[in-house]
Amino acid sequence: MTQPAPAAEAAAHKTAPADGGSPWRATLARADVRTLSLLGVLAALILIGGVTQPDSFLDTDNLQLILTQASVIGVVTVGMTFVIISGGIDLSVGAIVALASVWATTVATQEYGFAGILFTAVVVGMGCGLVNGLLIAYGGMVPFIATLAMLASGRGLALQITDGKTQMVTVDGVLRLGERDSYVLGIPPLVLVFAAVTVVGWLLLNRTTFGRRSVAVGGNAEAARLAGIDVRRQRLYLYLLSGLCCGIAAFLLIVLAGSGQNTNGNLYELDAIAAAIIGGTLLSGGRGTIVGSVLGVLIFTTITNIFALNNLETATQQIAKGAIIVAAVLVQRRTANNH
Amino acid sequence: MAPEPPLLTMSGITKSFPGVRALDGVDLQVQAGEVHCLLGQNGAGKSTLIKVLAGAHQPDGGEITWRGERTALKSPIAAMRLGVATIYQELDLVEHLSVAENVHLGHEPTTAGFVVRARDAKASTAALLKRLGHGEIDPGRLVGELSAAQQQIVSMARALSHEVRLIVMDEPSAALDPDEVDNLFRIVGDLTADGVAVVYISHRLEEIRRIGDRVTVLKDGRAVAGGLPAKDTPTKDLVALMTGRNLEYVFPDRPTGPPAAEPVLTVRGLTRHGEFEPLDLDLRPGEIVGLAGLVGSGRSEILETIYGARKASAGQVSVGGETLRPGSVRAAVRAGLGLAPEERKAQALLMLESVTRNVSVSTMSRFSRGGWVDRGAELRAARAATRELSLRPDQPHVPVRTLSGGNQQKAVLARWLLRGCRVLLLDEPTRGVDVGARAELYAVIRRLADDGLAVLLVSSEVPEVLGLADRVLVLREGRVVHRAPARDLDEHRVLDLVLEGSPAS
Amino acid sequence: MPTHTSRRGLLFGAAALSSGALIAGCTSNEPKDEGSDDKEQQVADDKPGKKVTIGFAGPQADHGWLNAINDQAKKRAEKYSDVTLEATEGSNDTAAQIGQVETLINKKVDVLVVLPADGKALTQVGLKAMKAGIPVVNLDRVFATPQAYRCWIGGDNYGMGLSAGHYIGEKLKDKKNARVVELAGLDNLELTKQRSKGFDDALKNYSNIEKVARQAADFTVESGQSKMSQLLQAQKNFDALWNHDDDQGVGALRAIKQAGRDDFLMVGGAGALSAFQAIEADNSVLKATVLYPPTMAASAIDLARALGQSKGVSGMAEFEIPSFVTCYSAVVDKDNVDQYMSTGFK
Repeated sequence: MTQPAPAAEAAAHKTAPADGGSPWRATLARADVRTLSLLGVLAALILIGGVTQPDSFLDTDNLQLILTQASVIGVVTVGMTFVIISGGIDLSVGAIVALASVWATTVATQEYGFAGILFTAVVVGMGCGLVNGLLIAYGGMVPFIATLAMLASGRGLALQITDGKTQMVTVDGVLRLGERDSYVLGIPPLVLVFAAVTVVGWLLLNRTTFGRRSVAVGGNAEAARLAGIDVRRQRLYLYLLSGLCCGIAAFLLIVLAGSGQNTNGNLYELDAIAAAIIGGTLLSGGRGTIVGSVLGVLIFTTITNIFALNNLETATQQIAKGAIIVAAVLVQRRTANNH
Repeated sequence: MAPEPPLLTMSGITKSFPGVRALDGVDLQVQAGEVHCLLGQNGAGKSTLIKVLAGAHQPDGGEITWRGERTALKSPIAAMRLGVATIYQELDLVEHLSVAENVHLGHEPTTAGFVVRARDAKASTAALLKRLGHGEIDPGRLVGELSAAQQQIVSMARALSHEVRLIVMDEPSAALDPDEVDNLFRIVGDLTADGVAVVYISHRLEEIRRIGDRVTVLKDGRAVAGGLPAKDTPTKDLVALMTGRNLEYVFPDRPTGPPAAEPVLTVRGLTRHGEFEPLDLDLRPGEIVGLAGLVGSGRSEILETIYGARKASAGQVSVGGETLRPGSVRAAVRAGLGLAPEERKAQALLMLESVTRNVSVSTMSRFSRGGWVDRGAELRAARAATRELSLRPDQPHVPVRTLSGGNQQKAVLARWLLRGCRVLLLDEPTRGVDVGARAELYAVIRRLADDGLAVLLVSSEVPEVLGLADRVLVLREGRVVHRAPARDLDEHRVLDLVLEGSPAS
Repeated sequence: MPTHTSRRGLLFGAAALSSGALIAGCTSNEPKDEGSDDKEQQVADDKPGKKVTIGFAGPQADHGWLNAINDQAKKRAEKYSDVTLEATEGSNDTAAQIGQVETLINKKVDVLVVLPADGKALTQVGLKAMKAGIPVVNLDRVFATPQAYRCWIGGDNYGMGLSAGHYIGEKLKDKKNARVVELAGLDNLELTKQRSKGFDDALKNYSNIEKVARQAADFTVESGQSKMSQLLQAQKNFDALWNHDDDQGVGALRAIKQAGRDDFLMVGGAGALSAFQAIEADNSVLKATVLYPPTMAASAIDLARALGQSKGVSGMAEFEIPSFVTCYSAVVDKDNVDQYMSTGFK
């Protein structure tokens, strides 16, 4: 489902009137090479999976499984990509997912059924994003610190709500959404949501003034300000967007796990940042792609899947994961530089 | 003339940066124990030259001889080992470290190679400060707590904490009061008496006369005169050397008719404390007004305050009769102001982005409906603007960082052209632009004015202001010292005003 | 189950006592109300005795089991009219917890019950209390030296693995080439290694059983769902699964339901209420769970009360309470789940 996106990006470049200038071609090539090298890494992983576990790796169930596992963190990563492109960072995503997922699964919320859970998850996510955005854009706080504070208090609040207990979901509609009967043409609904968020994110970044302003603020905030862009408001919106993505991800997690727990979203912040960086987003801002980030997430999820299917030990998994991250970034740098 | 080989000889030094040839074969010869002054306009290559001398830049070509032996200053440490110390204009001290720690930074006195002997460091620092006539500075204090003048002394103490044979001072007097300047000169005298050479950079001719032995004049990356006697060379000769051009600037003709009667930009009593004094200014459509002055004269600050990027302490700015909210760039842009800032890369351009996106960044809402950008319309409009300014290459998708300086400036101008702005504020529009490409940029600016734009131009290059502007305001230390039509001024007179503060006869 | 009962009986024997340590079952939630007719032994019972103030310091209850620990302790204390419980705000910060215990020492409580955030780090403050003449009952996470406590009571991670392994072994002993899968807890913790070791050691008794896969989750529902779904994909058929922790088991059960699998037997760990309910309902693969009983906190209060009143515990000949009590990891299945239902934690 994510395959159409890179193709779309390439196509978008091609539909723009080409003037045959070689520097432009070089840029286009560079952008594509970055995506291609990620696809290469993914292909290599698929090869490894197929060779080591031909029976269990290469079947529909496993494809569904990988994409489902990628959905929750994938949605978070789309929001994170926007924030990083704009030169910021959001360390609170995991905590927001935890808080939204437990708030949306309290007994009181569940009385309002499916809509109540969905609404609460999204509103709590956006609320946290709003606080982040206000602190950073108008309170003048450094994103690292503001979102770190949100991480701490979000986790604390989640613990207070649950008292450390697992909140089981009793709403049938929500539970069913995570089960096989709800698959649409063999695609799990979670994956459909992930795909939709990816497409909307791509359009938002590449086709709207919002995306342009995000890139401008991240590329050169002073230039953006002097060009007449309201940099503060843009920053506010960006953290709000990240919060919204966390809210959606929290709902997906509720569906997936059939429960809400304050330990949800553990270390999502690091996974999302790592996926975005592997996907070619500059940590300093000003450049990044949704497609790259989504490929980054898929690479991570596929690695985890292959490890589990091969029954590797936890220690080996961690060592190999670190090595693959370094390798993926190096491959990307190398190929991008050679063009 | 020298009984022994000169301390330092640099010959044929060249250094290029992308798009600019900063040094184009510079020769410099410095004797031990002399004060050698470097004179030149902004952009003449002084900073680049002293960075080469300090080992911070590697020259592309040329030869450096130190005490008769050929050498290469491969790094700042290598230069320091030879005995070259540099005191930069922007002080490079660590604010959160103490005076003694700053002085010994990187070469702390240690026991067993790593245990810092803090007491020794303090004692030697105190001795250095006393030698510099500032025994009152406590070596234990944090540098951030000191005044600018005291920081300068600390910087000098750091230079002297090494075994020095040559000290480079880049505009050391800029931050000092008159009696502090006297102290500085006393120190310079002591140093030269000990056989240390001083390379002294200053805009102030009177200082050069007081302490200088010899003068080398730089111009467009070349040494146009070397080793002139500092005390006796006539001022008019020095000014002529600084301004005399190898490449003639070609300025477009001024319009014959008078500009429109109604000013589009009106500035009344605009002030920023500590930066510039109350300023009145009227700017009419079709008119180019120039602000001439040195760095620190308040010219950039004035532009940025008019634009709302700095908030005025007092006074008001109106465009077309409408008073702008102070300190709001968005209000200024909406009212029709556009700024091409001095630091183009840091303040105007999105270097990773394409030309089109750089041009359209201030006009995006015009090409979008409900936030959705019509990229076809955007491209057509941006392209029309860049074509009107003959931006090269005519490829809207190339990243703006690949463009030359002149074309980057055109991208900024195209942004405001596309926006349809009424007043253009240009801060050093030809900074970082090759000399050859300047004429074209001048023509573009004049054409924009002829089409009805009002232009306020800041430049430290006097000929540029005189050649391009209709009227000129000369600034010195935040104050307008002279106003006149450009036709009634010449370069010498403006330089006199700028350097000496009073109209020379 | 008969094998377990006999083992329990054996360990109650004098042989174990003579070694200085006593391993006693404390899974029972029932009051120790057997009267004693031996006049020379003073044993603690339900009758009000000397007033005892017990200081209780536990970690922050961010996990269902720890929550249950606090509840068990408080409820047990309320039961006795002669016990006053001084419970601190739970904390995971070692320094904060040391401060809390010191405050309790200064308040001169009669007995301390401490479940340390980190056993090693709180050893000093345990020693300090003992030196001040306040006996310490060390709950579960053990101090670095026995000098820091008068009595240790806690769970048996190795025993959990043993119980789970034996239960599964007995269920599968007639099946040829039986395949077993293990979903472990957080692999960074020593207790996870101990559980796995016990499980493996028990399975060695059954030559027909092979453990074909082991993956580690991290005690969270989310990780349980994720790791279990991968395990199910990797192992298209197996006969039994042991999951170390019922919290992550919620996620594991969800994954099993999502994959539509019901071809194996699942055993849980710890003793969560949701697991008990599922076992009772008997409509999922979860057929049993091995306890890491939170009732140990209630027993700790009993021991502390006995200490404060200078009595022994009933049902035992000793004049003093034991110095070391390891709680048995009983297997709860459909047959005995009723009995344990009230101890299940959320």
